[in-house]
Amino acid sequence: MPSRNDLLIIRPFYILTSTFSFQMVSLLKLAKITEEGVRFMSPHDGTPMLLTPEHSISLQNTIGSDIIMQLDDVLVTTSPDHVRMREAMERSVRWLDRCIAAHKNPDTQNLFCIIQGGLDTEMRRECTREMVARNTPGIAIGGLSGGEAKSDFCRVVLTCTELLPELKPRYVMGIGYPEDLVVSVALGADMFDCVWPTRTARFGNAITKHGVLNIRNSKYANDFGPLEEGCECACCRTGEGAMGITRAFVHHNTAKETVSAHLLSIHNVWYQLNLMREVRNAIIADEYPAFLRQFFANLYPDKADYPEWAVEALRMVNIDLRSNNT
Amino acid sequence: MATPNSDKDMRIIFRTVNDFIANDGAVRLGRLSLPNRNPVDTPNYFGLTSRGAVPHMTPDNISKHTEIGGVYIAIEDFLEHSRKRAYPAIYNIDVPGKEPLHAYTATPSSMVTILGARRNPAVTAPSGNGRNYISIFTSTGFQRLDTENYHRAIENVRPDIAIPLADLTFNESKAYSNAKRQLRMVERTEDWLAAFFKLRDPEDTPRKTDHGAHIFGPLLPTDFQTQWEYINRLAQDYAEKLSGLAVYDVNILPDLAEYSSLTHLPRLSLDIMTSPHDILRQVQLGIDLFTIPFLNSTSDAGVALTFKFPPPPNPAASILPLGTDLWSVDHQTSLAPLAEGCECYACTRHHLAYMQHLLNAKEMLGWTLLQMHNHRVLSDFFAGIRGSLGRGYAAFEEDCARFARVYDTEIPKGTGTRPRARGYHFKSEGGESKINEAAWENYEAAGSGDPVVAAEMAGRAATGAKGEGKETPVVPEGGAEELDKKGFAEIDK
Repeated sequence: MPSRNDLLIIRPFYILTSTFSFQMVSLLKLAKITEEGVRFMSPHDGTPMLLTPEHSISLQNTIGSDIIMQLDDVLVTTSPDHVRMREAMERSVRWLDRCIAAHKNPDTQNLFCIIQGGLDTEMRRECTREMVARNTPGIAIGGLSGGEAKSDFCRVVLTCTELLPELKPRYVMGIGYPEDLVVSVALGADMFDCVWPTRTARFGNAITKHGVLNIRNSKYANDFGPLEEGCECACCRTGEGAMGITRAFVHHNTAKETVSAHLLSIHNVWYQLNLMREVRNAIIADEYPAFLRQFFANLYPDKADYPEWAVEALRMVNIDLRSNNT
Repeated sequence: MATPNSDKDMRIIFRTVNDFIANDGAVRLGRLSLPNRNPVDTPNYFGLTSRGAVPHMTPDNISKHTEIGGVYIAIEDFLEHSRKRAYPAIYNIDVPGKEPLHAYTATPSSMVTILGARRNPAVTAPSGNGRNYISIFTSTGFQRLDTENYHRAIENVRPDIAIPLADLTFNESKAYSNAKRQLRMVERTEDWLAAFFKLRDPEDTPRKTDHGAHIFGPLLPTDFQTQWEYINRLAQDYAEKLSGLAVYDVNILPDLAEYSSLTHLPRLSLDIMTSPHDILRQVQLGIDLFTIPFLNSTSDAGVALTFKFPPPPNPAASILPLGTDLWSVDHQTSLAPLAEGCECYACTRHHLAYMQHLLNAKEMLGWTLLQMHNHRVLSDFFAGIRGSLGRGYAAFEEDCARFARVYDTEIPKGTGTRPRARGYHFKSEGGESKINEAAWENYEAAGSGDPVVAAEMAGRAATGAKGEGKETPVVPEGGAEELDKKGFAEIDK
């Protein structure tokens, strides 16, 4: 029997679901977390809701997504409250046990744990060991991308990946800037999710390998080139049946007609997917350090401008970004 | 562009396939054929654009998922004032082998473009038109547009079809009921048209000459008595320069039968219409081409059109609705398509429950899918009209009568919120409330919001070197105790 999700959305792709997202920390009138679960106000009608680990898994079992996420106790990564952070980390481990026990379709749906522990390396290690011991099909590193410094972010990712088993997917939640993606891959991460490519499209920004262009800038009003020269996305590609989208037309409609947001979304998502395709090809060819050097050279004409956090993070995995070797 | 062909009258773009004796031969099946564009069988409709785009649809989706053969574009969407630009950007584009209007708006090259001065429907200009100009509404405010500048715009952007200026106020209630105002409208439009043709063709060369855009002469929203002299002039002096007629009030059409030099021209309706019943009435009066203003607004309202022509058998004899309000919670678990039997992209891949979800989540995809569906319903509707006419005028009359019996008179109004309306969609009056209530408020009372998102909105993409060098900020101000005192994480205030 098809699950409800098969009926609700016709899907040629994998679907990953989560019931409680980090965005809720910043967006919602939130949320009291007790051992029982998360109490929060419904964003739809303001009524109080209770989300328990069991209910979270039951919902995701019903939806029938391919990857389901545990319910975790997440608070702002940069929280200075060490005691609360430890409580959240330990509770996330206990909730994982409840999620595993409640999971009805372990053969068809993959439950991922989520490593918590803020920016405290020792707490992250402890959490990682506990989570790995529970042997879920995949492992997520959570609670990041919440305003922490990039060097802290990299340190935490590397701390976790060093302790993770080789043959399980490692998912860093909420990561999306191109620099963050390529550096995280070097630090041992496999998969990511982020709203940024489409959100920034709605704000009128185009991602290119030479940086992000704000197409709302009036200098693009008479720019009749593609969003990015050489790009193969549906907007930029040339040849038979090409759409022939110009920066000028996108500029003409940014913040005025939704079509510009659609066009920039098409371009930006293609950019991100193509970036990861190039990343995979470079890894297979055993040329990832050279790929990284080229990637940063495209973004910054002067090596002195390379972001220090990226240089340092890559040095931790023995890649010298400023080396002249290609 | 097509090469001039001396054997062929370049002006003629329309052939009737079948005229009907009824209504003095006004009603006909026809075909509009322009060089390098796909032919369009009529009666049919063209898409209405906003700022050169069919709302919510990217050009690839228009090619793949609609059957529209052409679009109506308003020049007022491109003429905004800018201190940084001497000329509108659209004048500067130069793509080999493409007309600037097609190239700038990325309109698929198989599709016909019709250029008018004003959007349809147009926003009423408070100051009205002048002796030599009309008021247009750009995204930077009202401006004047005179015949000379409009002529220059047409030369620059090279539409397939252009409608010359007419002295319309788009204010039904006041202007058109005033006899003096009506007379002035006719006089001005006649003067402007003369000036327009003079600019296009100072030598007044004989017919069969290619002067670029094909011209659809405007027929005005007055009774025949008021504009008969103007129509005489169209028929006698300008018939050879016209490729079609732009009809602002279809009630003039019965009086047109007398003018044999005008009857063979295709007629584009820019008259008001609010339902498919109006379309059928206008077809019966002899309209060949439509722009359907209610199509975009119906999609924006979250309503899926459900009517068919000829109407389906209706044994229950109940009144069928013209559309379905997709916001209704009735659809929350419905796996039915938007309209039974529809073969559009949205109906074959999705269903009411998903559409209801998308609208409630305010996902832009909802409106995109709705546009695909509603355009398909309209295309099928016109195919049905042509099929019915193909069986003879009596069959068509019979189908129209049955349509009027079977279907409700009005399209249902959507109950939910709309996509954001912009200044060029309407002119706001003082003290009006917002169309849509804000769905979300910032958690932080001061409204500081997420600094990363704020930076993105301000056009500073928060990535790269700018984002580094900062220590991890201590985000919540104060410790846990203080936060607790302030009521952090409490459910009741």
